[in-house]
Amino acid sequence: MILTTPIIIRLSVLILVTALAQVACFSGMVIFGTSPDIAILVVISLGLLGGSVTGAVSGFSTGLLIDCLLLQTLGAFALSMLAVGYAAGRYRENVGPPVRGAVPLLGGAFTLVGLVAFAAIQIGTGVDADVSTIVIRDAAIKTLIGAALAIPVLLLVRLLVRPALIDDRRSARRPMAPRAAETGTQ
Amino acid sequence: MYRKQVRRRRAVLLLLVAASLTLLSLYYREGNGGPLHAFERGVSTILGPFEEGADRALKPAQDFVNWFQETFEARGDNKELRDEVADLRDQLAQAQTAAQQSRELAKLDALTGGGLVPAGKQAVTSRVIGRSPTVWYSTVTIDKGTSAGIAVDDPVIAADGLAGRISQVTRGTAQVTLITDASSSVTARVQPGGATGVVEPNVGNPRDLTLNFVEPGEEINEGQMVVTAGFSAGALGSLFPPGIPIGEVTDSTLEEQQAYQRVHLEAFADLRDMEFVQVLAKAGRSK
Repeated sequence: MILTTPIIIRLSVLILVTALAQVACFSGMVIFGTSPDIAILVVISLGLLGGSVTGAVSGFSTGLLIDCLLLQTLGAFALSMLAVGYAAGRYRENVGPPVRGAVPLLGGAFTLVGLVAFAAIQIGTGVDADVSTIVIRDAAIKTLIGAALAIPVLLLVRLLVRPALIDDRRSARRPMAPRAAETGTQ
Repeated sequence: MYRKQVRRRRAVLLLLVAASLTLLSLYYREGNGGPLHAFERGVSTILGPFEEGADRALKPAQDFVNWFQETFEARGDNKELRDEVADLRDQLAQAQTAAQQSRELAKLDALTGGGLVPAGKQAVTSRVIGRSPTVWYSTVTIDKGTSAGIAVDDPVIAADGLAGRISQVTRGTAQVTLITDASSSVTARVQPGGATGVVEPNVGNPRDLTLNFVEPGEEINEGQMVVTAGFSAGALGSLFPPGIPIGEVTDSTLEEQQAYQRVHLEAFADLRDMEFVQVLAKAGRSK
């Protein structure tokens, strides 16, 4: 991802709006007894599009904002979302940009990683909780919702950060190459 | 070039992880008046109006999604509610013919129907503007703060019963720690009967509460109502005034009562979906 000042502003607005919408709206939606975690999908999308550094920084920022908005333990969401953003970014760097069929799987898998990371942080910070069927059911449904919404969220985020994407710039130039080869020129 | 990128990536990751762990560690170590809490409250105060705006603007979308869920649930609830109405009709008929039961019901109605706001307190109606996206945090954010006279530890009541208490407050918003939060415990009394205990959450299962430390030998049955005990012992008195409905006993086996001195109950208040709450704030505190 090519980070220019307009892109950084665009990313900051995206992160702010995502955190506000997650806390004010998406957390209040009830789908099969749980609520969709759109913030984590936005972080996953940024990691898949921009790489590990972009994923980690955007995950940390989004998580920290949610921590502040909910007046919760500062750093808990930040750390779990940082892990998810970084993992998604590393996937992109090692495997390449995800093909469309893999996006739902990645959305579901990284959502689950985020939930497990968050649960681990909660247990690590002293919340004495049982891993009840409610928690497992909540994680399973959130994972499925994450898988279902991964493609639309990725497309939306891609649309917003498109000018900064290296792949899109390359593909825009690609049609020139075969013609150069046909004519024998370099 | 590649090595430089790897070094940069690792440095950013290490920096962010260290920052997160430092925040976590310092946040736990410092008190409510510490700089990180102040920073958090500052950010929340600044973003509070935007959060409220987003809540209002996105309410139609939220209601649209929830409509599907509610319709789905309503179909399942229909038969159950018909049975319940039939049961209640029977109970009503019995209550009208049995003077004893009628007196008990009247007493119970008087207890829960009025006089919940103690002298020196005022009910501040607030709107829920933020909810945690996980089942781990049992808190909500409301749109009133110190400017409306709300202070830490003020009791919070939802439409059907006790919701929790104020745990953090800014000028325009406040955080409500719900009775389903791991840190919550409320002294309570079973009605009728008068058995007392402490209501605590079953963490990880937000729909289940337990009434612990019930005296052995007390007979508690399913369907009995549990209200706040509201004992008074100077500075150590309960935060909650007496008589606020908390929930209904859902599971009360004799074995569990005798072995663990506890029964299970379900909160009256719909903590996941409540839209308005009332905070019992000290009268005349608003600025």
